[in-house]
Amino acid sequence: MFKDLLKLERFPTTWCPGCGLGQIMIQLAMVMDELGLDYTNCVVVSGVGCTGRLAGYMNVDGIYTLHGRTLPVAEAVKLVNPSLKVIVVSGDGDLASIGGNHLLHAARRNPDLTVLCNNNQVYGLTGGQAGPTTPRDTRTVSSPAGAPYDPVNLQNLMKSGAKYFYAKTTVYHQLHLRNCVKEAIAWPGFAFVDITSQCIENNGRRLGFNSAYEMLLHFRKTYNRAAEGAETLEPNQIGIVRKG
Amino acid sequence: MKRLVQGNEAVFLGALKAGANFFAGYPISPSSEILVLAAEHAARDPDFKFIQSEDELAAANAIIGASLAGAKSFTATSGPGFTLMQEAIGYGHQVEVPTVFVNVQRVGPATGMPTMPAQQDIVQTNYGSSGDYYPLVFYPNSVEECYRYAITAFNAAEESLSPAILLSDAFVGHLNEVVDLDAIAVEVVPRSRPPLGTGKRFFTGLAHDEEGQPRTADAMVYRKWLAKVKTWHEKVAARYSDFEFKGNSSSDTLLISYGIVSRVIAPLASQFALFRPIRIFPMLGPELQECTQGYERIVVIEANDGQYACLVECELKRDVIRVPLLGGRVNLDLAKKGLSEKLEREVS
Repeated sequence: MFKDLLKLERFPTTWCPGCGLGQIMIQLAMVMDELGLDYTNCVVVSGVGCTGRLAGYMNVDGIYTLHGRTLPVAEAVKLVNPSLKVIVVSGDGDLASIGGNHLLHAARRNPDLTVLCNNNQVYGLTGGQAGPTTPRDTRTVSSPAGAPYDPVNLQNLMKSGAKYFYAKTTVYHQLHLRNCVKEAIAWPGFAFVDITSQCIENNGRRLGFNSAYEMLLHFRKTYNRAAEGAETLEPNQIGIVRKG
Repeated sequence: MKRLVQGNEAVFLGALKAGANFFAGYPISPSSEILVLAAEHAARDPDFKFIQSEDELAAANAIIGASLAGAKSFTATSGPGFTLMQEAIGYGHQVEVPTVFVNVQRVGPATGMPTMPAQQDIVQTNYGSSGDYYPLVFYPNSVEECYRYAITAFNAAEESLSPAILLSDAFVGHLNEVVDLDAIAVEVVPRSRPPLGTGKRFFTGLAHDEEGQPRTADAMVYRKWLAKVKTWHEKVAARYSDFEFKGNSSSDTLLISYGIVSRVIAPLASQFALFRPIRIFPMLGPELQECTQGYERIVVIEANDGQYACLVECELKRDVIRVPLLGGRVNLDLAKKGLSEKLEREVS
């Protein structure tokens, strides 16, 4: 049962009602259950931010690293014990901003890691500041006139290497999300799953959404599946691009 | 077998002797020999893992991950890199991870004088990260001691379940001396914590209770944890109260020095009493009290602007004369000149 992989005794989680993290965690637990991953063969590493708490709710050894440092820690764990499946779950700010240099170089070294990026386009835990993935012109508490820059292009960053695995999915597309996680875990190298997620309390409401549900409907309306075998995902597409 | 060994090489060989099987680092003079030796060793021995990291932040966090995964891990750096590693040192103390940081000091701040010797990271070593923590820190002054105290640092790290620090300097690190490392017997403490993949633990940098459950607003849990950590660090430190003392009944002055400076001023033993802390932190309390008793003047001579002197003053609650040797020049003539000025008499 996937529930055995969750520390239900620590529920409720610290996450706000409507947060996308619960769904990401459940999908991860379902995939782990399906693949026979448990505390004897799997470790979850998470960074600082709302997402950071995720490792503490899983029934495996979990590491809550310093802000931005998931990848160096995870890479070392994998190197010391290659028989462990090492799954990194962290936020877009943690992975792409403060941990950006590590992301660049971990992808280049291509260790066998699975990275799930909870991409909610905002620094949620600190109150809703603009982050590296905030779309241009988005109003946040730290960009009152609209975010002045284009967001980091995670797909292109991942595809800069000779070998890569980049999946884009959303919390609305549950089955697609689960499949992306499953394929990423099976991928024998650095696999990055970019999960568009909703932060209703510290981002969505300022953008005019009344509920997490409205944000999910927005994801449904915005994103379409890319054709099988597509080499590039357009900004409104979900899918997987890879090169081994 | 007796042979010529370099200080940095002795640190690496000591680490191997202690059972180290993981190194992550970023090149920085004057510590780079350790990284290169680790790379060469990893190429020969598949059980020894090596990462040349993208920066010191990655290296410092990697050795923590490696330790949790079951390795005995270490890194080596110098001042500017050590500054970047401070966040991981604090993290290592919060999460209780045994690992070893080697800092071969050079003149700072910032890029400073690459790579002239200095001892300017003394305060940073104990107070550089946020929060309160109690690292065990050793500072050898010879090639033989580099080997011996590298092993001691790994032992102290395991026993204190936290990052231990081995200080060195550009001079000691690049010192070549004839030693027989095989003849040096130091006991090796085995790893204590079961590795990752054996439990359902949560290793977090958040304040937490004994089960690893985050407790970020509970003062009592926090105080209990810190008191426990402090007590057991003091207990471990007491096993390593290493220092060197040469009394001098014909002198009213005691010189305190450590690392390379203690080597340089050794010829002054006929004129002064000499005290050399080897365990730099936690401060040697009773040992300092006892050895300084009866001496009218206490001088701390060091390659920084009075960092250890200030701490000695706190410990002894009496005035201490400072003789700083700055700018990467550490030699007996400058030491004598500094002493002559501060003691207002000719020291020759």
